Parts: sequence; structure tokens; C-alpha cells
Amino acid sequence: MAARHLVIGAGTAGLNCIRTIREEDGGASEIVLVAAERPYSRMVLPYYLDRSIAESHVFTATAATLAAWKVKTHIGRKAASLNPQANALTLDDGTTLEYDDCLIATGSRAVKAPVPGADSPGVHSFWTLEQARAVIAGIAPGSHVVMVGAGFIAFTILNSILSLGARLTIVEIAPRILPRMVDDKGAALVDAWLKKHGVKILTGVTLVKIDDARGKKRLRLKKGGDLLADLVVMATGIKPNLEWLQGSGIRINHGILVDDHLRSSVPNLYAAGDVAEGKDGVTGAPVVHAIEPTAMEHGRVVGANMAGRDVAYRGSLNMNIVEVCGLDVASFGAWDRPEAEAFTALRSDRSAYRKLCWTGDRLTGAVIIGRAADVWTTNDVGMLKGLVQTGGRLGAWKEHLRRNPFDVKPAFIASRTTARLLPDTTLGRPSRAPEFPTTVTR
Amino acid sequence: MKVLKIVPEKCTGCLRCELACSYMQTGAFQPAKSVIRVSPYEGHTSYAPYTCTQCAEGWCMTACPVGAITITPAGAKDVVDDRCVGCKLCTIACPYGTIFYDHDTRKAFKCDLCGGAPACAEACPTAAIVYEETTTADWLADFAVERSARLLASGAR
Repeated sequence: MAARHLVIGAGTAGLNCIRTIREEDGGASEIVLVAAERPYSRMVLPYYLDRSIAESHVFTATAATLAAWKVKTHIGRKAASLNPQANALTLDDGTTLEYDDCLIATGSRAVKAPVPGADSPGVHSFWTLEQARAVIAGIAPGSHVVMVGAGFIAFTILNSILSLGARLTIVEIAPRILPRMVDDKGAALVDAWLKKHGVKILTGVTLVKIDDARGKKRLRLKKGGDLLADLVVMATGIKPNLEWLQGSGIRINHGILVDDHLRSSVPNLYAAGDVAEGKDGVTGAPVVHAIEPTAMEHGRVVGANMAGRDVAYRGSLNMNIVEVCGLDVASFGAWDRPEAEAFTALRSDRSAYRKLCWTGDRLTGAVIIGRAADVWTTNDVGMLKGLVQTGGRLGAWKEHLRRNPFDVKPAFIASRTTARLLPDTTLGRPSRAPEFPTTVTR
Repeated sequence: MKVLKIVPEKCTGCLRCELACSYMQTGAFQPAKSVIRVSPYEGHTSYAPYTCTQCAEGWCMTACPVGAITITPAGAKDVVDDRCVGCKLCTIACPYGTIFYDHDTRKAFKCDLCGGAPACAEACPTAAIVYEETTTADWLADFAVERSARLLASGAR
């Protein structure tokens, strides 16, 4: 009998798993997909918000694609409970699905700051397509938008809000912006850049409640100075969707604990993406990297293993990039270990900042900030990723980078990073183009 | 597959590859938008061009959340402009630093081997860039190690 694969979640992890199974097996197995929503890409919602793409552009695997891949779907259904002993999943409509192996890729959801009024009309999260539609409907040219939270998610929609002609105020409880993406010096540079571009930023501010006043939302702040907003976006964090697994017996810490094959404590149950706590490729420690590239790589590795290959994952690399008002802000790996040796360099005249973090003579983390139009910035972003990812010894180049933290390219090339990278593939074979397989052969 | 082989010892730093590349990519002679980039070594006495290896992993391609990077008949990973939304994820996924973001078009762009007739190789007067059937390799490392020895020893810029 053909293997029965069950995939729960149609985000980046789930769809990459399905694609990879079909790349490997050509359609020989049975795949069942359970998804709460029609599959779409969360990454591109900011571009839907600013109307640079149509809504149709956000959808990923269409019904036709899934049919061509011979995937049976339960779209609009949620997983309700899992019984690993019986290899059975129960859906929210009572349907029971049996499997030989199963991927849990239920992703995460936005959480709002726990203040009175957070759930009132006009106070939005920006995480799902449905939430994106509501924000789009609520912003008009001249609107005053208040964003609560100054993290990565907030910053991904900053340009979009401004390009819609809205005024923007950011309220952050921490003493600085982007607390989990760049260090203090980098944050100060971004803060100054945004203020220069007309964004009002209030840091170290506690929001007490949100109520309604004169047809607007009123944000009451602890130290006074209420804000009136036409629309409030709360970008105050995300939480993995794991509650439904209570009682399943699967080992869960911050996420589902997985081994280097993305298997949970139950060997035929895999986890991927935001719900998985797996190996960090730089530190080796178990970690939840709730980022798109990790979800993609997790999904591909699970798909290959489900299809019968033996593929170990090298571990995920923490990385983010966001552009705000023409300033690129990116970080890689372990950039925030206080005990790590670090070189920093600031060129205020070019709004450029670098932080290079070391373990011995290996680069293990980096922050890079610079103008997006500046070739000087964009040249180095990928090479810093390559140096952190390969973790090769840089020898005398470390001293060179201490003196010249902006001179990454010769260090990258002369340390033979290309030779280290060329044989490195996630699945032990060349990747296929995204169109493949449009139809399966068997 | 035919690949761009770089022979750095032959590069004179004339930058004709950058001009030809940017003209093919954008229709204008603007080296800032070339996807092959020449770097100086040894205090500007020698040079080497650097571009995408069309690697087997295709880090840019697998990272793209909307499938906007595909493989052309020439074997190049290429950005499909109509699909690219400009999220820049590919620029941090590529560990070689060879996919870029165009601030004017708001799209990612990279070497597409000019559809199988690379303008850089055609423009190179010294055959430092040749397009031939071979396995791609780390063309620059030996050259860079040799040409940067003095720089590292002296501690000079």
C-alpha cells in the first residue's frame, strides 16, 4: 500500500514539504492536506497592503496545482486533536484522518498587547490575509495610523502604510526599536533615519488602554500624552499554534522539539516552521526560528524524509531583512550574544552600520545597515550570510575586518567561502525550479 | 552545462564586462546595475570579476515565497519580474552575494547568463571571462589568496 502522508498547514513549511515529496516520488504516495485557509504567502501581504500587487498574487498553491500534485485537501478545516498511538488526526468538524506519517506545520498567530480595548473595532493585527484586508479597508490618505510594537513585523508594513499617504506613529514599550533584530547602535541609526523621514517614534512608552473618542481610537499612555488614531495596528508578537496538541504526548518546549531530521518525540510525526524547535546551525542549540527561510528549509527536509530519503538538516540560520524608507536593515546568526567579541563600525554620513560578531576567527553573527540604493550595502548582505552560514575560519582576515569592517568581499573570496558553499545543498541534490512538478507522472 | 568561467589572472580591470552586463540587464550603461562586478586587488594593480555561479542549491530560488525565481533553458536561475514583489528575501538567502535588489524597479535581479549568450564574456577583450561547458568552481580563491598576501601582512588598506 502506498504511504499515506498527512500535512497539517499550507503555509511555507507545508507546501514545501508537499512539493518535495512530489519531486521525489512523482505522485506514488497519498498526500492529504489540512489547511485552515486557502494557501497564500504571508511574506507578500505588505505588497498587497500598498496595492503594488493584486490580491490574486498572494495565493501560492491553487486548487488546480494541488489537484495536479494529487493532494487531497481539507481546506477551511482546523486540526482539533491528535492521537499518535492510533496515527489519527481529528478535525474541527469531527472528521478523522489516518496517516503513516504526518507533518505538523500549523504556524503561529499574532497576539495583541493585553490592554483594555485591544480587541475593539479599529485595532488590528497584520498577520493573516483576512487581517490584511481589514487594514487595507481602514487606511485612507491622510489617516493617522498608530502602530503598537516596533519589531520586524511592524517594520515590514511601515513603507506600505506611508506609501498609502497615511501619517505613522510607532509606540514601543522597550527603550528602543527593533529589539530582536539589531543592537542598540543599529537601532539608534534606524530611529534617526525614520524620524528624518517623518515617522513619529515613541519608545519606552507603556500603553494603558485604548478607547474611542471623537470617532477615533484614543491610546492612553502611562506617562500621559494620549494619541488619537484613525487605525491602530498591533504588532506585538506572535505565538505558535500548539494548544491543540495538549494531551498528545509530543514533547514541546517553546516549540515541538525535533531532531536533525525534523522528527518529534514520536518518530512518524514531523514538525516544521514556526511550531518547530530545532537545531540552530550556528550555535547548535535547539531554537524556534519563526522566519520564512527556516519554514522553507524545514518543509523541504521533511518532504524528502517522508518520501523515504535520509536527509539530515544542517540547522537553521536566524536572519531577517527589512527596508524602511530606503534604508536596508539586516541581521544574521548570533549577532546579540553579549559575551561574543564584536567589531562595529558606524559611518553616519552614509547611514551605514556594521557589526561583526566572532567565535574565535569564525564569523558567527552580523548586523548590516545601509541605504538600499547604495551598492556598497547591497554587495555585502549576501556575503555576510555566506560567511556566517559556512562558519569557516578566517585567520588573518579577521584582523583585516577589525580594521576595515566594510571590506567584506576580499575576506569572503580569499577565505575560499565559494568552494565551501558550492557542494552544499539542503537535500543532497540540485534544487528544482518552482514550476516542478506541475503535474505528477504516476 | 555551460558556465561562466573566470580566469582572474587575465583580467585587466577594463570594466567592459560591467558595461556590457548593465546594458543587457537594463538597457543603459550603468555599472552600478551590473550583476558581474570587478574588484581590485593589490592596491589596484590587479582585478577580478565576480558573479553568480548558478549554484546547485539555488538559495535565491528556494527562498522566494512566490516562486518568482526559476531555471531558464540555459540553466540560469532567473527572476520572473511579474512574480517578484521585491521582498528582498533572496538577497539574504544567497550566501554568495550575487542577487541584488533594484531600487528603481523594486525587483530583485541577477545573472541570467543573457539567455545563453553572456554579454560579459563577449565583451571581455582578454578572455578573463569565458562561457564554456565545464563544472563551476571557486575561480577566484587562489588568485585572491596570492594577491592579498601583502595586504594582510602589512595591515595596510
